[in-house]
Amino acid sequence: MKIIGDKQIKIDTALAKEIAERSGENVFLCYQCKKCASGCPSREFMTSTPTQLMRYVQLGMIDEAMKQNTIWYCLSCETCSTRCPQDIDIAHVVDTIRIMVQEKKIKADTKNSRLFNWLWMTILRYMGRMYEIGLTGALNLFTGKPFKDMSLGMKMIKKGKLKLFPSFKKPLETKKMFDRAKRLSK
Amino acid sequence: MKIAYYPGCSLHSTGVEYDISTRKVCDVLGIELTEVKDWICCGSSPAHQCDELMSVALPAKNLALVAQTGDFKEVCAPCASCYSRLKGAQYKLADENLKKDVEQVIGTKYPEDITVLHMLDVIAKKIGVEAIEEKVQRSLGGMKIASYYGCLMTRPPKITGKDSYENPTDMDSVLEVLGAEPVDWNLKTFCCGASFALTQTDVVLELTKKILADAEASGAEAISVGCPLCHANLDGRQQQINEKFNTDFNIPIFYFTELMGLAFGIGAKELGVFKHLTEVEDFLKERALL
Repeated sequence: MKIIGDKQIKIDTALAKEIAERSGENVFLCYQCKKCASGCPSREFMTSTPTQLMRYVQLGMIDEAMKQNTIWYCLSCETCSTRCPQDIDIAHVVDTIRIMVQEKKIKADTKNSRLFNWLWMTILRYMGRMYEIGLTGALNLFTGKPFKDMSLGMKMIKKGKLKLFPSFKKPLETKKMFDRAKRLSK
Repeated sequence: MKIAYYPGCSLHSTGVEYDISTRKVCDVLGIELTEVKDWICCGSSPAHQCDELMSVALPAKNLALVAQTGDFKEVCAPCASCYSRLKGAQYKLADENLKKDVEQVIGTKYPEDITVLHMLDVIAKKIGVEAIEEKVQRSLGGMKIASYYGCLMTRPPKITGKDSYENPTDMDSVLEVLGAEPVDWNLKTFCCGASFALTQTDVVLELTKKILADAEASGAEAISVGCPLCHANLDGRQQQINEKFNTDFNIPIFYFTELMGLAFGIGAKELGVFKHLTEVEDFLKERALL
């Protein structure tokens, strides 16, 4: 019979602990039933399934959990969180990892989501409400596809479905909120 | 009935016909909508993907604005994403520490006694199908409709409080009393890819194609939705889907409020249905609903 000492078993629980602290979700409750992976509408695009992601986090496999495209293909549709028999809010775990990747500026396959989120929040900070033409224009410019969805956009303008000019609603108020939140999280 | 109304960004732009038809229908049903004064964006998906505190503070600020608008105990949001963000923030704000931080960020007290409702909740639950049936002027004539709920009107149930989240039926019951025939289909609560509309359009085209194909295979002549993001994908992306997958979808996508308006005898133009990108004129003409 083989005898294995404690020191030979190495699981780094730092990642799981940080996620638990930030989100209140315990990934160690996951017993790999694969319900989340079966119901995930986006799994065919992901490098790993949500079930595999949970295992990576349990095992402290930071590269697999944080650098793959898996978390960036999550649509936040909440199917996994709804169906998890262990009541783990998996979508919240994914959001938490996404926030950690963005905060720690980890180089990852984010599918332009980091840029999109930044643009969205910046518009919100200064205008209070969304300005769709500005958002799409800036995103297309930054990603080097200036004409993406151009004909669709023109049709929508013709139908009166896009505001040509932004509406500023209490811009100072939202900026103050963002500033106060930043101070608080420091 | 008086209720606070939080339209959200989409209803002032891409989903403007949802706003128009909602107001018209509420008018007929005697629901007095008061728009929340100076409302701001709920933060939508980007907020919860990049900033946990702001993702709760933005909806909380809007709830505080509801309280400032008037003596309202209920607010309704027609957009499923806004509804989910407002409701989700309330769920998280049960945590006293978070509430303290959020109140500091929004610079005012967070009102705990406001109930957030989706527009469909107001129509199906508070008004009820009997009252709706009384207002029907012209039947939808057995039009076969797939009612599409998408993700966030029902999920996750611990936040929305919905009992039937895998097979919701509220919209079906409303459509039935309008004289339509709701079809049984598989992808009622499947995701259309909403939050990826601009960043990963390929995902949206793939998922939306599945929804359109399943609705068609189930015999639906049209799809009814209750979310401006679902509508933008299902209605606006049909041409791109046809080009990419060599399909020939031409399925009218209606907001459930538009179908209600049509059945109440309100003119199609007045309801804004010609703002759709997938044309509905011939469809309505054939069914004498124009």
